[in-house]
Amino acid sequence: MKILRCILGLAVASASLAAAEAGNYVESFDTIYNSLTIERTGSVVELRARSRRGEALESAVDLSDPLKLMVAYTRSLYAGLFFQPKPSRVLMIGLGGAGFHRLFSAAYPDSLLQSVELDPKVLELCETRMGFKPTGKMPVALTDGRMFVKRDKTQWDWIILDAFRGGFVPPHLKTEEFYRECAGRLSDRGVFISNLHSGTELFHSDIKTIRAVFPQVVLFETEGRGNVIACAVKYLTPDMTQPQNWAAVEKAVAHVFEGRLDLTALKAERMAIPKKQVERARLLTDDFSPVEFLDAMKTNNTGPK
Amino acid sequence: MSLLVFYLVVVTLGILSMGFQMLGSRLLSPHFGSAIDVWACLISTFLAAFSIGSMAGGVISNLEGAARRRSQLICALAAVVSLAVTALFGRALVGQIEIAVTAVLPGVLASCLALFFVPVTALSTFSPQCVQFLAQRGTAPGKASGLVYGVSTLGNIAGVMLTTFVLIPHFRVSTLLYIWLAVAVLNLAALLRFLRTPTSL
Repeated sequence: MKILRCILGLAVASASLAAAEAGNYVESFDTIYNSLTIERTGSVVELRARSRRGEALESAVDLSDPLKLMVAYTRSLYAGLFFQPKPSRVLMIGLGGAGFHRLFSAAYPDSLLQSVELDPKVLELCETRMGFKPTGKMPVALTDGRMFVKRDKTQWDWIILDAFRGGFVPPHLKTEEFYRECAGRLSDRGVFISNLHSGTELFHSDIKTIRAVFPQVVLFETEGRGNVIACAVKYLTPDMTQPQNWAAVEKAVAHVFEGRLDLTALKAERMAIPKKQVERARLLTDDFSPVEFLDAMKTNNTGPK
Repeated sequence: MSLLVFYLVVVTLGILSMGFQMLGSRLLSPHFGSAIDVWACLISTFLAAFSIGSMAGGVISNLEGAARRRSQLICALAAVVSLAVTALFGRALVGQIEIAVTAVLPGVLASCLALFFVPVTALSTFSPQCVQFLAQRGTAPGKASGLVYGVSTLGNIAGVMLTTFVLIPHFRVSTLLYIWLAVAVLNLAALLRFLRTPTSL
């Protein structure tokens, strides 16, 4: 009995010690749009959104190295550089924890990175827990992404669509009509970048819908995570599905990317469009977008594929 | 048998009302999103329509002869015409409201009032008349009220579940709005026939 008590005591003590070391804090917030969790472990702060499959990792930042891209797919978003290597004006729909922003603003300090976020609490947590500060070059608009695209007349070099609510994308941000609105706000040589998730029925409908608007679409599969980044342009020539036509990315920012972003490895993430499945998939329109039933996300950015 | 058909008509009335709310959310979402503020306006509009429709229906059910028949016909026509307007011009109307009203909440409220308030109010006027119909045929008023609202609420549940889990995943919203219009025409025709029949069931 004494031995059992000793073992139990040791187990409880070691569990407490582990908890004290591992979790600096875990906080939960219920907003009118999301159920959010902020967890700090050492210098790493993660922002998660609860959904029916548990918690989806929305974003993460290492406060000791804020330029580090902590969530794998944020590296793949930089594939936009192959299509528009001078992103002077970038619109990002979905702020998350601003995991993408810090490296981008370091590499392109003169560029405008406009974010649109629906949930004010996300911005507040970003500022108070994740060390993000909106600036004149990195403003944040608190509104619906589609409403912003309709009302703001700026021509963007990149439009990044990365809006999730607890693992699901709002249906009105997945339709042909919305993509046409985005295409209308892209500069002539601009690129539309969307974070998709493979392994879902929605994935093939997504690609079909993007292709209905943009004549050229190239996919990049984030290694081991199930994220697929679609890069789409609205011009026909040159043929951007051929890597030899991709832009030689500026060497001027190579020192910022060094150790944080390997563009050569990113090129290798290119994947073929699953044409047969895409052909069979249904086009998503404002009139028909059963996005919730096509399962937006089966992985949650954290686990292995 | 007639009583069974009567309750079927009441169930369908419930399906039409609450299923319409789910379709309404899909009409609004491309313009105003689908967040909780949009749902608050949508639900409030429907509840206001239920409330005003029920009160108006209570008044109509106590009118005499020709005045009652005329009021019933006006309500049925208002329901059909407004559903037709929503089916034919709903999306264009919301688009125009979105442009005209830049603030989000007033825009959502204006859209809800323009598209959903009249048809749901008109449909709701028939519930008290259904209670009166049963009461006049010997059912105790309290029991008649419980039966009609109980059966109608079952229809509401069926409307929400059927529309959400069966219809929206398989059909276009515009197609469903035309189906709603057709079902409303048939259901209201049957209801008017019941309400004008003096004989007992």
